[in-house]
Amino acid sequence: MSDAESGGDPHDARNEETVESDEFEPVQVFPESEEMDLRPGSDDCYKCSTCDSVCPVAEVDDEFPGPKFQGPEQWRLKRKDDRDIDDSVMSCSNCMRCDSSCPSDVPLSQMHNTARGQFVQEQMEKLSQEYLRNRILANYRFFAELGSKVPRLTNFLMGNVVVQSVNEKLLGITSEREFPEFADETFREWWTNRGGAKIESDEKRVAYFHGCYSNYNTPEVGKSLVRLFEYFGYEVLVPPQKCSGTPMFANGMLADARRAAETNVSEFAAAIEEGADVIASCTSCSMSLRQEYPELFDFEGTASVAAQTYEAVEYLRLHEDLAAELERAEVEDADFAYHAPCHARNQGLAGQAVEMMDLLGGASAEDVGESCSGISGTYGWKAEKYDTSMEIGAEMFDHMEDAEAETGMTECPTCAMQMEHGTGYEIRHPLEVMAEALVE
Amino acid sequence: MTDTEVLVVGGGSTGCGVARDLAMRGVDVTLVEKGNLTNGTTGRMHGLLHSGGRYAVSDRASAEECIEENRVLRDIAGHCVEMTGGQFVQLEGDPDEYFEEKLEGCRECGIPAEVLTGEAAREEEPYLTKDVKRAIRVPDGAIDPFRLCVANAASAQQHGARIETHAEVTDVLVDDGGTAESGRRVRGLEVRHTSGPGKREHRQPGETEEITAEHVVNATGAWAGQIGEMAGVDVEVRPSKGAMVVMNCRQVDTVVNRCRPKGDADIVVPHETTAILGTTDVEVEDPEDYPEEQWEVDLMIDELSRLVPILDEARTVRSFWGVRPLYEPPEMGTTDPTDITRDFFLLDHADRDGLADFTSIVGGKFTTYRMMAEKISDHVCDKLGVSAECRTADVPLPGSEDFSVLRDYMDEFGLRSPIGRRSVQRLGSRADDVLDTDGPNPVLCDCEAVTRAEVQDAIDQSGTDLNAVRIRTRASMGNCQGGFCCHRMAAELHPEYDEPQAREALDELFQERWKGERHALWGEQLSQAALNYALHATTMNRDRDPADREDAISFEEFDSGASASKGDESKTSETKEARHGD
Repeated sequence: MSDAESGGDPHDARNEETVESDEFEPVQVFPESEEMDLRPGSDDCYKCSTCDSVCPVAEVDDEFPGPKFQGPEQWRLKRKDDRDIDDSVMSCSNCMRCDSSCPSDVPLSQMHNTARGQFVQEQMEKLSQEYLRNRILANYRFFAELGSKVPRLTNFLMGNVVVQSVNEKLLGITSEREFPEFADETFREWWTNRGGAKIESDEKRVAYFHGCYSNYNTPEVGKSLVRLFEYFGYEVLVPPQKCSGTPMFANGMLADARRAAETNVSEFAAAIEEGADVIASCTSCSMSLRQEYPELFDFEGTASVAAQTYEAVEYLRLHEDLAAELERAEVEDADFAYHAPCHARNQGLAGQAVEMMDLLGGASAEDVGESCSGISGTYGWKAEKYDTSMEIGAEMFDHMEDAEAETGMTECPTCAMQMEHGTGYEIRHPLEVMAEALVE
Repeated sequence: MTDTEVLVVGGGSTGCGVARDLAMRGVDVTLVEKGNLTNGTTGRMHGLLHSGGRYAVSDRASAEECIEENRVLRDIAGHCVEMTGGQFVQLEGDPDEYFEEKLEGCRECGIPAEVLTGEAAREEEPYLTKDVKRAIRVPDGAIDPFRLCVANAASAQQHGARIETHAEVTDVLVDDGGTAESGRRVRGLEVRHTSGPGKREHRQPGETEEITAEHVVNATGAWAGQIGEMAGVDVEVRPSKGAMVVMNCRQVDTVVNRCRPKGDADIVVPHETTAILGTTDVEVEDPEDYPEEQWEVDLMIDELSRLVPILDEARTVRSFWGVRPLYEPPEMGTTDPTDITRDFFLLDHADRDGLADFTSIVGGKFTTYRMMAEKISDHVCDKLGVSAECRTADVPLPGSEDFSVLRDYMDEFGLRSPIGRRSVQRLGSRADDVLDTDGPNPVLCDCEAVTRAEVQDAIDQSGTDLNAVRIRTRASMGNCQGGFCCHRMAAELHPEYDEPQAREALDELFQERWKGERHALWGEQLSQAALNYALHATTMNRDRDPADREDAISFEEFDSGASASKGDESKTSETKEARHGD
């Protein structure tokens, strides 16, 4: 059903065929993405510095040289055997704002991800606290799976002051933040317990990429998605899956990301074969499948997964008359201060939640502006990045305070953490509110 | 008593090489050059350090000289050389016999040569075409002609030589009373200093100087005929132009040659941050006035895309043309310039034309500049009765004494690693002297990673001549072609030089950059040019800058601003109206 939408710009990596065409193909000497030669990408840069002007890290950190240096400049200065990458690449938060700001299609985040991967691979001491900490943060899913086996104990422990200070001292994970609580029942447990899909359909089928956070921490988001899609008559598949890779890219753990991506691509490509489109409730997860996978990997099916992945609300807006349904519905006292995550912005989705909430009776959403929340996944959890993270977030906190609403809204789980951390507001996901309005 | 023992004309590789050689033998040398160093052919070549492979079939004597000098230059000029290695690539359809001849030629000339399968060749250079049948790997390299020439001049100066750039020869002074039968000899030159003598300084009045010498060496390459004419002798150089195209970044990290009999557009040389495509071979009348034609650029890209297909899509930043100083004795009468030998000729005008104390050097190639300089110096020393031996093959050039680029730049110089690495690659053993500064050391040229310290060091050497700063540092030679750094470089001239001088120096540099960009105005480089124009013409208002006016600005014509002119209503409203009508 999505063939019609998968056309478009042939230069978009998402639309390239995975099958080798007769055109020239450079010989495969870059089996690992850490070894990719991205110098030709610097051809597109005419140095205008727009990327530097939108970089939230550069705005608050004078020591950070900015995306233009990290990307096209650093790549262009490389000779084949040069191995060293400047360590400032670890200060990039991977918000990817530079990507969407570039007027000339420089593959900035691809350059940053690849350089960061090279840096971690070649230059970071594997026994260092930084490496260990980053590896743990990047592999949140692994620890979340352990922790969620005994959620109450884990929540008790992670909330413990002593444990937090040990985390900071030993691992460099900030003790300023409240560790997210694990749900008593994960989304997947709920899914199994309810007996899987309630609706079967050959025409309308979606495969849900729930990611880690809505599985272990906020299963309510995943449940809302399922109810909402079933309300519209979709058969929902929940294929086995690993982390989307977002925190791994951001920490330069490309080998970990590669393993996770391989599973995800093969599972979701299989779902596509069965006639499903891929939907995600987390905008960083959808970003990863859509853009980072084809930029960094070339498993069979990478391009088709990229081309057929959508953010959940985006998907409903494309295929259903979500607007009309919302206009007919009503909720009580639902005013939100909405923050658009950078990764939603990059997918062109910055405006949709506000638009949808304003249609819904009794609801309204006020956009709190274009600034980045500053947490950028694992970035704001690092003790040495915490202050930078909060400084970036200050503008958003101010705007949230100024907004009339006392509840926040965003699609991204870590933006939600930051919003809650900075204002004390409860933060909702648009899917939760829509499901309440339409289904319950 | 003469002003100097030997007067060398021409600040290219040969001239600077001769000056260094003679100075190291204790001879008092003066070198004059009409532009900056490398102004002629040296600054307009593709930067190939020949292994000799290119001549291994047609000209084995040259091939043997090349491999010998290739090894010498790696030793004495390490900071100018990048040993990239090279490949002679045979595509499907290219003649097998020629490939075999090339291989045999290399082996006979002592050039290490190894056959690579097509697959192996593409593993070394992933962007090579699938049509590679096989390749010969040879020790070609990349060499920076600017740095090499400057280092030779610096070494000559350290040994007491006087180097005068921007000093054009206006006359060759010929006397009666020489030792030749005719009784005529060259006693010196009349030169016109653009500013100075000494370092270039914009807006300083020039002057004419007569410099007398015991011997004059005409090392002006393609211009040798013009100097000869001033002395009344015929030097039949046959200048031949070659076009080169500079790509924005490296598509290859080794020198890639097409393995087939001579032809245009058959080489890609990785050069610093760029790759240079070469070249053509067309005879021209005047080494300074010849057409720069678009077909030459197109030919380069079309032909070489067959070898490296990504070139077809890749961004070019500029094109330039050089003139080879080809020479053959007039009786040879070769018509096709590609058939003229690349060997060099030493013309002793005493024997040849009855004009004593005057030697011209013509033909030759960059890779063997040192060997040529040695032979000329031997000849001159012979004439002067100097018995000192040549030492240029053994003593490293300034910058090439022991150095390593593997350093912790951040700790040592406070530089980010790619910037530190590039700076040390350029400066070699001079890095500590240049980069160890007290004050802040920001990057002035982002594309090429050039810091203030390096620009200041170059200004110390060359005054207000920003093109001389450019060739020493590569500042303004990257993808924005100076759009973002020309003015930063000019600002560094202050306070030692005043504002009008800096402004003139800036204009000169900016114009030189634009000259080469004209041949690359499509795709991304056109976007770049448009952005550069917007920055310079609009943001900096350089096309209508009041400071460029001849007459002074009468500031009294302006009112004192809104707060001061409250009493004068009519004037304020007039200003407003004018603004609306604008």
